[in-house]
This record gives sequence, C-alpha cells and structure tokens, in this order.
Amino acid sequence: MNRLGKFEDAKFFLFILPWMIGFTVFFLIPFVTAVYYAFTDARIPGAADLNFVGLDNFTALFNDRIFGKAILNTLFFVFVGVPVVTCGMLLLAMLLNADVKGIALFRTFYYLPTLVPIVATVIIWRLVFNSEFGILNAILGTFGIAKISWLGEAWSIKPVIVLLQVWISGSGVLIFLAALKGVPKHLYEAAEIDGAGKLRRFFSVTLPMISPAILFVLVIQTMYNFQMFTEALLLAEGGPNYASYTYVYDIYKTAFTELKYGMAMAQSMILFAMILVVTLALLKSSNRFVYYEGEKRG
Amino acid sequence: MQTSRKVGSSSIKAYVLLTGVLCLFIGPLIWMLSTMLKTKTETYRFPPTVIPEEITFDAFQRLFTVQPLMWKWIGNSVLIAVAVAVGTVISSSIAAYGFARFENRYKNALFLVVLTTLMIPASVMIIPSFVLFVKLNWINTWAPLIVPAWLGGAYYIFLFRQFFMSIPLELDEATFLDGGGRWTVFQKIIMPLSKPVIITVLIFSFVYAWLDFLGPFLYLKSNELFTLSVGLQLLIGQTGQDFPALAAGAFISILPIAVIYFFAQRYIVEGVVLTGSKG
Repeated sequence: MNRLGKFEDAKFFLFILPWMIGFTVFFLIPFVTAVYYAFTDARIPGAADLNFVGLDNFTALFNDRIFGKAILNTLFFVFVGVPVVTCGMLLLAMLLNADVKGIALFRTFYYLPTLVPIVATVIIWRLVFNSEFGILNAILGTFGIAKISWLGEAWSIKPVIVLLQVWISGSGVLIFLAALKGVPKHLYEAAEIDGAGKLRRFFSVTLPMISPAILFVLVIQTMYNFQMFTEALLLAEGGPNYASYTYVYDIYKTAFTELKYGMAMAQSMILFAMILVVTLALLKSSNRFVYYEGEKRG
Repeated sequence: MQTSRKVGSSSIKAYVLLTGVLCLFIGPLIWMLSTMLKTKTETYRFPPTVIPEEITFDAFQRLFTVQPLMWKWIGNSVLIAVAVAVGTVISSSIAAYGFARFENRYKNALFLVVLTTLMIPASVMIIPSFVLFVKLNWINTWAPLIVPAWLGGAYYIFLFRQFFMSIPLELDEATFLDGGGRWTVFQKIIMPLSKPVIITVLIFSFVYAWLDFLGPFLYLKSNELFTLSVGLQLLIGQTGQDFPALAAGAFISILPIAVIYFFAQRYIVEGVVLTGSKG
C-alpha cells in the first residue's frame, strides 16, 4: 500500500469523518452528559443552576411506588411477552415455510402489518377492539360472549399489547424463515429413515439448526420489550390504572411532565444497566442451547 | 421439507391453515378498509357490517376538512423521509468505504465502536438526545430528524461495508495504476457497482423515517411542522368518534409504504434478513 502515499491514514479518517462527527455529537456527548446529569437535580435541560446530589436520584426511585409498578409491568413484557412473541414468530415462519404453490403471495401479505406506521396500527386496533362497535366483540357476540372493554380493563391491556406485537412481528418471521430454509434437507431425510416422527424431527433437527437465529431474535426482542413505550402510550396512555405504565413511560413522564431531567437521566442509566445484564445473561446461557455448525461440542 | 412437492391432502391442510391464519393477520386491515368506506352512522350499528351497505368516500372529505393541515403533514413526511434516505446513502457509503478498503491499526477498533452503537438501546438515549437538541436550539425544527442521518448510520455503514468487501480489490488497484486516487475509486468504481445495496439502503431508510413516531412526537411542537404520524395522533384526540375519517387517515399513512413494499419487496426482505445473518 506504500505506493498510495503517506497520507493514507489521514484519508482514512477523512472517509469516516461523517460517522466520527455523528458518533461524537449524537452519541458520545449526550451519553457522557447523561451520566453527569444523573447525579444532579437538573430540572431544565442545560440549566446552570443545578446541584450535585450524589446518589439521591437513585435512592429516591426505589421509594417510589409507581416506579416499582413500572418495573413489574416491564418485566411482564420481557418475561411473558418475549417468549410469546418469539414462539408466535417461529410458528408463523414454519407455516410460511410450507412447500406449496403460491406461498410467496402468502408471505407478502403476512408481512404487511409490520410495515403499518404505529399510529395507524393503533387506530386499526382501536377500531377492532372497540367495546361497542368493534368487530372482535361482534364476532365473540355470536358465540354468546358479552362485550369486553379490551382497552379499558387492567387485566386485558397487556395481553392486547403482546398480541399487537405478534401482529407486527414480520421481521422476526423473515429471519426465522431464512434460518429454516438453511436447514439441510438431508438431515430431515436421515431422521425420517431413522424413524423420527414429525415432533421428534422438529426438536432434534429444526430447533438445534436454527438456534443461532432464535438467540438473535430473543436478544433483539428482549431489548425491544425492555423499552416498551410507544404502544402503551398510544393504545392506553399507560392505563388503565397504570396497567400498561412501563419503565420507559416513567422516564418520559419524569422528564416531560415532572421536568426532573436529572432523575430521568438516572432512570435511563438504570435501564441501560438492566438491559445490559439481561442481554449478557442471555448470551452467556446461549452456549447451552445454541448450536453452531462445524463447532466441536465440549 | 420433503423431497417432492407436497400433494393431495397435506397440501390442502397447509392451504386451509395458511388461509385461516392469514385472515387473522389481514382481518384488521380489511376492517380498516371497510370502516373507511362506510357512512359515519353505519359504523355505529350493531351487529356491524363487514361489507358497507353504501360505499362512500365522504370520510376522506371530512378528514381533510376537519384537519386542513393533512396535505402539509403528508408533504412534511415525504420531505423528511427523502432527506433522511439521501443523507443516509451518501454519508454511510463514504464511511463504509473507509472501513472496507483501508488498512491501518485504528480501523478494526473503530468498526467495533460502530457495531457497539448498534447494540445501545434507543430509549436510553431519548432524554440525553433531547437535552442536546435543546442546547443546540433544534427543538421544533426538523434538524434532529434529518441531520443525524447525514452523519452515518451504524446499521447502514455495516450493510455498505459488507457489500463493498465483496467487490474485488483488483478493480481498486487498476484505478490506482491509472493514477486515480481513493475518491476516484469510491466514486467511479465502487458506487456504480453497488446499485443493489444503494437501493436497499434508500428504501430501508425512507421506510424507517416514514414509520418513525417517537422522534417527531418529541421534537416537533407546532402543528405546521408535524409529520403525518404525529398529525394522526393529534387527529385521534380531535375526532376520536369519527371512525371512517380515522380509518381513512390510517389508510393514507400506510399507502406509500405499501406501494413501495409491493414494488420492492425483495430489497426490504433482504435488508431484514441481513440483520439476522451476521450472528
């Protein structure tokens, strides 16, 4: 590479300059500021009259009952929502992996809900789940089931949001579909010759072969559900009775309603730590269930 | 899963299952279309009708009368999404060339930083970014939505880099021998060969800008600057009981994405699947 001249390093930095500026301004500076703010009582962004309050923001949080509820709600979306959504994606992917004519058209339509803007999704779901005029209660009514206020009951709002996530889970389905197509056919043939039934083939061939994709989807979905907010905001405004009030919703309220920016930064840092710990635990435990082809198993 | 195409009963079973589940997935969208074409009074009827008795487009007229800013919002959304898509392609491809073609001791460490930012949860950055934009005086402008896109996106840099690395190095070297520099190679050799990935990134970043709700919702304050998504959110509060008008609004916000999807499905699917195949 000598013939290219001695300015090669400078040229490299010139090429990546846009990213370097973007990374510094929109990532590094806000992040470092956030760590600093988290230990202050800042109430206005950029305020000069802020005081260093040590760990006060953090200790105050744990005495807040609503904050506890927000954590519990978020854990529901992580530990119930993620498995349900991931299983839904896998079942849909297996369904769409069927070797029949016209399957491409089916795949096209199954992915469509994923591309619906979230506000439109919420409008549609309000139309479907409307307790008086919605189609769902009308269908259930023909079976003699009384009208249910799906978006107005504390017990139903979280399941409805998880259901919404399944509806827009097309990206995960695509990833599973690609993984399923990558499973070599001869493995199924060998298993069949050995007398393995459908269920056995699924657990002994399909699952191990697509386990890297499962891990990937689990990690992404876990990170996403830890940050559950927009759906809860638009569909139920955190209610009813705080049933969909999530952790990020609480951060939003702390900052934009109560104007406690220092506190909101502290909450953001805790969120970061929580996601980091759970994701690392997931990755760490993955060597027990993820199978990489060509790797020796110890 | 079997060597020969499934025939007979198992094929029929697959169709029944596929169609049944498809109805559940497409059902809500069909319900939207049905509501949108009804008269206001028909939507209050119980039991509801699936096929409107009287098909009417009045909902659209009411929508644009109740909210005269609708056209403005649609225009804003298009402008922002185009600016984001163009900026993303230019800035991310330039940065990706740096990461794909230079050899030095900083490259790998810096690329690791790019990948790390991909793993940082977006909502951790909501409040810190908001404070930054307040300090920059960018609140109630489109700058927070557009400027970051012109300074490289981690995922798109990754996509471009993957593609650039599949282009033979000999092409670069031939250009160097002819006296061309790095920029010539990038502009005259790499980019013309990268049409597929350019299209993928254009479509992907356009679609994601169009789908973005939280950004415009947090940063834009005056109605005239709203994107369609934030405008619709305002509309839910204004005309919450006019179901056909709301459905019409939802339909308009879906339409551009649906059109892009039906014409360029391959690129969208590719972009999604690529995220999953790096693991």
